[in-house]
Amino acid sequence: MKLYDQIFNVVKQFRKLFSPGPVTNADVSGSLTAEIFLIVSLVLTAILLRHVNVLLAGIFTLVLAIVLIYSIPLIPKFKIEQEDSLEKMLFYAIITLALIGIFMYWGGNLV
Amino acid sequence: MNELIPLMVIVPLMAALLISAFSKFNTVTKIFAFVVAICLPIIPLLSNYGFHYFGGYEPILDSAVNMMYHPAITYSFTFLQQIFIGAVGLLTFLVIFIYLTKYRKVSGPYLFLLFLGTAAVTAMLLTDDIFHMFVFFEILALAQVGIVAASSIDYSYEMALKYMVLGSIGSPMMLLGIGFLLALTGSVNVTDIAAAVHNGLVDATSPVFLLSLALIFFGWLYASGLPPFHTIKSGIYSKAEPHGAALLQSFTVISMISIVLVMFRIYASLPIFEVLIVFFSILAMILGVSLALTQTDFRRMIGFLAVGELGFIGLGIGLGTNFSITAGLFQALNEIVITALLFIGFGAIVNATNEVDTRKLGGLLAYHPKVAIMLLIGGLAMAGVPPLSGFQSKLMLVQASLSCGFPEISILAIMVSIATFVVFVKTYYTMFLKPKPNDLELEGKEVPKAMIFAMGVLLIIVILLGIFPDVVTNGISNFVGGIL
Amino acid sequence: MAQVQLVILLTSVALVVIGFYSAIFIDNIIKKIIGISFIEEGVNLFIVAIGYKAGGVVPILMPGMDTSWFASNAAYPLPFGLVLTSIVIGASTLAVMLALVMVLYRRYGTLSTKVMLADTSKREEYDE
Repeated sequence: MKLYDQIFNVVKQFRKLFSPGPVTNADVSGSLTAEIFLIVSLVLTAILLRHVNVLLAGIFTLVLAIVLIYSIPLIPKFKIEQEDSLEKMLFYAIITLALIGIFMYWGGNLV
Repeated sequence: MNELIPLMVIVPLMAALLISAFSKFNTVTKIFAFVVAICLPIIPLLSNYGFHYFGGYEPILDSAVNMMYHPAITYSFTFLQQIFIGAVGLLTFLVIFIYLTKYRKVSGPYLFLLFLGTAAVTAMLLTDDIFHMFVFFEILALAQVGIVAASSIDYSYEMALKYMVLGSIGSPMMLLGIGFLLALTGSVNVTDIAAAVHNGLVDATSPVFLLSLALIFFGWLYASGLPPFHTIKSGIYSKAEPHGAALLQSFTVISMISIVLVMFRIYASLPIFEVLIVFFSILAMILGVSLALTQTDFRRMIGFLAVGELGFIGLGIGLGTNFSITAGLFQALNEIVITALLFIGFGAIVNATNEVDTRKLGGLLAYHPKVAIMLLIGGLAMAGVPPLSGFQSKLMLVQASLSCGFPEISILAIMVSIATFVVFVKTYYTMFLKPKPNDLELEGKEVPKAMIFAMGVLLIIVILLGIFPDVVTNGISNFVGGIL
Repeated sequence: MAQVQLVILLTSVALVVIGFYSAIFIDNIIKKIIGISFIEEGVNLFIVAIGYKAGGVVPILMPGMDTSWFASNAAYPLPFGLVLTSIVIGASTLAVMLALVMVLYRRYGTLSTKVMLADTSKREEYDE
């Protein structure tokens, strides 16, 4: 019952996502789908690590799945980080540039 | 007739300049724009395959090291260029047709921007010179910003300025990468650079070479709107006029594939290149579709779906086999057509209702049945339902990732297709099938005939490509065999 | 003379770093745009530095010059040509950005990025 309550709370939290304005059942079911899709696809992507190391992939996938399921609702958090303000867009763009640059300069030959 | 190759860029460019100069004469401008727009898809069909060397400087053979050098800016025209220039030309024609029939008094600067964008993407596809590509990429960015800022939608200026500010981070980084390549090889011709890399004149493991990949890759992310640029890309789609958005997404797709093919020719020997592309493509698929599921503005929703579909193209190119690249490029062609169909169709709904919030719409099936049915088929094609064109390319991608030994990616691709379908069905239900809200005024508002005509043309292409995919895939496969 | 090239390269790195700093931390949109255009200028300077040759001559073949001497002493002209194009593009981008800022300043009456370019989706009124 604990997980059920948690999902019920998730649905309540979706109201904030669609404010201002009413929340329709199609929107809530869409957001629930997005929630499940996000968890499943991220876990599935983590399995790709098996091409690096099978043990690492197993542990990482399990940990990721547990963390993701216990931190629902994910979609409001995701959406806040990807809103339209220039501050956040610039921040993520420059962070990505830095990460790609560092990764390529020191790790480009490891793959 | 290789003289036609530069004309593909020159005709829209000259038309753009002439129209903006003589926009006082309304009727003449209209007729001239219409004639040029008809010419755009016809020129690539008439032209022969081959090369064009600007200034007439033929390649020089250096007999000491037995290598060719290309002193001139070279345009190469093959089947791939033909099919994509034809597609974007046709789309430009349809968009300009919609625009000309919508307004009695046309705006010269707006037509200028549409033609300028078309000329820029055509040059990006044709060129074999990486700096030339960068120049037209910047021109394209200016044209895109102009198309967004010219729309009458709220907050379009804000979105345009955000796109420009992000662009002034993204494109100098690409230029810096090109500068690194220039410092390493002394040339900006892609064929020369690729030959230097493959013959071992450039150390492919040197940090400078790797850093040039990182910087050009970042510029590519900005050009194609993969994460972290997916929010701004979907934003500018939603703030442009619907027919403008249809053209903007085709510009994005074409700049994406033209830059990635250049990168592929230079960096294909580095395994990390393919890892990077696959990583960002998967990220785009997941983020694009999951954010599309939570949108209430349906233009924004289509924008996020378009970004998610871009992930499929990147996936095909990142897997790196002949079959997968063919699948990715075929998916690119399908996406240009299908997303344009969806943007124009939903734009027709905006036109008829003046409303973009799905929560305030409903019951439109009874009022606009033609638009509803064409949109349904377009949405099914995007989700990959047989026998439409999206199905063929997605099936090819799933097969390609299976045969490369990545069943996870196949499952992910199928899941993303299903989620795309969910997004589409949810929106379709709330807009067309659910009972009409009482305060929604629909009487006396018609959908423009030009929009229905454009949708019909695009729909025929979707169905034909779905039934006869070989017409395109064989030619693309030959092209891919040439660059591998 | 090799120090000249090193100094130019260090200057271009400094310009790019200043640009990134201002992109993240400066709130005034005009100052931010000035800072961001530093990135572009830094990159242009870097490309100019590629063509630098210690003790080289201007890459114009004058009548009476020995061709082989010219080939070994002239600076590399391609980067200069490229930078010229790049500067023109940068100027036009800057002009469009500043024009958009002018329009937005008239609408908002402020130059703060946090106010002017914040998330617009929350601001749209739901009239009911």
